[in-house]
Amino acid sequence: MSKPELWVVAERRLDHIEPTTQQLITKAKHLAGNQMHTVAVLFEATTDHLEDELKAYGPDEIRIVKDDRFPTATDAEIADALQQLVTANEPNSILFGATITGRSIAPRLQAKLQTGLTADCLDLRFDDDTLVATKPSYGDNIMCEIICPDHRPQMATVRPNTFVAEPADGAATVTSSTITFHPVDRLQVKTATPVVNTATTVGDASRVVALGRGAASAATISTATKLAEKLGGRIGVSRPLTDQERFTHDDQIGQSGNTIHPELILNFGISGAVQFLVGMQDSQTIVAVNSDPDAPIFDVADYGYVGDATAFMTALLAQFN
Amino acid sequence: MKIVVCIKQVPETNDVTIDPVTHNLDRRGLAGVMNPFDKNAIELALNLKDSRDDVQVALLTMGPDDYAESLREGLAMGADEGYLLSDRAFAGADTLATGYVLAQALKKIGDADLILFGRQAVDADTGQVGPIVAEFLQQPQITYAASLRLSGDNEVTAERLLEDTKQTLVAQLPAVISVRSELNTPRYPTPRNIQLSFAKPLTTWHHDDLDLDDTRLGQAGSPTIVTKVYAPEPVKRELTKLAGTPAEAASQLITALKGRQLI
Repeated sequence: MSKPELWVVAERRLDHIEPTTQQLITKAKHLAGNQMHTVAVLFEATTDHLEDELKAYGPDEIRIVKDDRFPTATDAEIADALQQLVTANEPNSILFGATITGRSIAPRLQAKLQTGLTADCLDLRFDDDTLVATKPSYGDNIMCEIICPDHRPQMATVRPNTFVAEPADGAATVTSSTITFHPVDRLQVKTATPVVNTATTVGDASRVVALGRGAASAATISTATKLAEKLGGRIGVSRPLTDQERFTHDDQIGQSGNTIHPELILNFGISGAVQFLVGMQDSQTIVAVNSDPDAPIFDVADYGYVGDATAFMTALLAQFN
Repeated sequence: MKIVVCIKQVPETNDVTIDPVTHNLDRRGLAGVMNPFDKNAIELALNLKDSRDDVQVALLTMGPDDYAESLREGLAMGADEGYLLSDRAFAGADTLATGYVLAQALKKIGDADLILFGRQAVDADTGQVGPIVAEFLQQPQITYAASLRLSGDNEVTAERLLEDTKQTLVAQLPAVISVRSELNTPRYPTPRNIQLSFAKPLTTWHHDDLDLDDTRLGQAGSPTIVTKVYAPEPVKRELTKLAGTPAEAASQLITALKGRQLI
């Protein structure tokens, strides 16, 4: 009997593969061991070769479906194509990135297949052939383990940057599949353009200057911006600062925002609510500056200074200069 | 034009705790409020209503009887009528079973040109119910819309922000739309609208009011099961304290970061 299949649905971002796809291939390989067959499912135009961005991560198979309509296909069209592949191959489980695209296509496919889908997962494991998905709720204050015991395939969307992509040995078998593309004429993607400000997101930055309630003044933010530039990094914020006009939920760390693991994070004026800590605790080096010696942020920090965040930041920037 | 906005009631705070004995979620004493993201969907509907004469805005929710409070709030914002789907048979539903009942209710309401959702609920954070309803109703969807306008008699144009890409989409109605919170600022109910809201129709539908397949309802109709609920525990590290004046401490930090080859 052939091994059950564990799928990662590759996501396209303009002319490239969205990085969460590669992170999920690495995780899928760890989960599969010798028990399952890992398949990256890729939809692309006839002249595309996006598989070249997947091979290095070593899935057992890259299953390609080509159609020139895929680059601008809508959620319903992709979900329809996936349903045809699922019917033909009967995978055990399907993983998507919990990106906007993944979170839009996966539930549509779930409804077609009448199966279970767990959203925005922070961990995955198998108990025998049951996928156990760990999902945050209540703004990351609570974790739930969720299973789908009686329906297949099992489905999950996984928060970007939860896992680290690692190149792997082994040549992926590249195969091609065909489906019937069913166009939905009532919805058309007219244009798709890169967002003008293409600065890296806080999730992509390797250095992060994180600001909280204790470092929220305009002057402090200005100093922090210079410090972030010096470090080649980016500013991230805890929830209170998302109330300020210049920050959005995209800048937020933790709390159903971005889970990050940069090589360095400097936390200023952040006391360390549990959802924030869980959102950044896998950072390689963690520095915390806070006036409250009992702030929980110090529990997870490698280096800590009890004192005024702005004064420390100013001193640090001066010494960099 | 008929718009139906699907809303959810959520606990007023996310600061929930786990009962140390039963390991169940302790939600005692937590009042329910309308999911804040749903107010952006209502605001969009009311904007469209303000812009032309023929727009009717209905609100739809599934939950216990006290969810009527959120419907009342939406009516006070300016919606025209509310529908509450309340039955013991609906309890324990996951996103699939919830989407099924909502879709059956939307069929009964009938002829909705636009079905709107907030981006996600702040308690469970799935954002799944909108696409599930769209699939069950075989309608096109535009999720996470950053803007939306009527661009023809029977057509909307929306912008959708992916992580680093902006899409412009055009949909022929009917369609299902979920909206980003950056789309607008929800209005507050005015005293006059609060007064008017008490006269607005609020309809409750129970199990027998809808055409339902009982195997698809509630816990039995939910493929997913929550097997464990716990509070996340941050992993502690060994802290090296930086001491002295800010300048002295900053200097110690720079030395440490150099040692780690970070600068």
